[in-house]
Amino acid sequence: MTFDEAVRAHARELYRFAFWLARDRHLAEDVVQEALLRGLRAFPSPHDGTAVKPWLFTIVRNDFYRTRGGAPALESLDDVHAELADPRANLFGLELRDALGVLPAGLGERLALQVLGGFSCAEIASMLETTEGAVMTRLNRARQALRRLVEPARARDRKGAQP
Amino acid sequence: MNCLDYRRILLAGEGESEAMRTHRLGCAACADTHRDHFAFEAELRAAMEVPVPNGLESRLARRSATPFDPARRRWLAAASVGVLAAGAGLYVWRGRDDSMAMACIAFVMKDEAKSVMMGAMPREEALRMLAETLPLQRVERIGRVQHIVPCPFGEGTAYHVILMVPQDKVTLLVMPDTPMPRRGRATQHGMYASVVPAGRGSVGVVGSSAAVVDSVVGAIRA
Repeated sequence: MTFDEAVRAHARELYRFAFWLARDRHLAEDVVQEALLRGLRAFPSPHDGTAVKPWLFTIVRNDFYRTRGGAPALESLDDVHAELADPRANLFGLELRDALGVLPAGLGERLALQVLGGFSCAEIASMLETTEGAVMTRLNRARQALRRLVEPARARDRKGAQP
Repeated sequence: MNCLDYRRILLAGEGESEAMRTHRLGCAACADTHRDHFAFEAELRAAMEVPVPNGLESRLARRSATPFDPARRRWLAAASVGVLAAGAGLYVWRGRDDSMAMACIAFVMKDEAKSVMMGAMPREEALRMLAETLPLQRVERIGRVQHIVPCPFGEGTAYHVILMVPQDKVTLLVMPDTPMPRRGRATQHGMYASVVPAGRGSVGVVGSSAAVVDSVVGAIRA
């Protein structure tokens, strides 16, 4: 696969992944653009055994954090709950996309890699240089948190739908 | 497998293994969890799939991809530049800096990144526009052309070429409408630039090594 073919094949996934990193549409395209320009020189040869898709996601991620101040620290699982203490999350029931925006960056990133990139927990662990167990725990927590965040809105909708 | 294991793996988003499937088929509560989970996953995916701007793929590919075959004649490039570089470096970069060469360095410092973001011009057009000054085929024998696009430069237009030679990246500014009576050189900010007559116009070569710039100039004039 040439670089051009790889970019065309994965552009949409990369853009969406960058969106959930940057949480801004214009910035997302810039992030992908800059990462690909830098990645062009290091594009893996078809013979060196590097899988292109995780490589592309990794350069987008690395480039985003390199130019924007480093990856989010998310060392303790307690941080997940602490960071979710967003006032909006407590006061309102959120739609799912809004709720994703309230998730801590590290959780949103892992979800995006899994849901949009289609990577397994083991692959994500390898890309993020962490353990598979840690990735599984965080993804589990992320889904639970999302459900908690959207539940009030759903309960309201259910109530409103009752005759 | 018990219910706790089943739900832990399911909520981590992993696919259902055979052991999980067996458990689900014998457990009504986990079968409910499974149904609910997949409904939620569909919603989650839909929420994460934000709209993609029109033309994104081609825009990214156009800006990122080299318009040329990257594998072409690399061995030849390596050989020619390597030999030339061995004999180069003997030039002495001293004396008064040439203003055009200084302008080439200023372009690399200030405008090169902007030019790269503009995207590359089609190869056919590049072949035509450079033919009378510095034929593209000759450039491709020197190194791998990574980017080429017209840019405003000085009073006219220059074709900005990023060329990967085995030792380094060099920038060429091909100026069809800017004749140079003789070679001019400059060095500034750790960069070296040389401008040489070429066809009806001239070519500026900028790099971070005097030897590489000299060797590329030698290859252009050969």
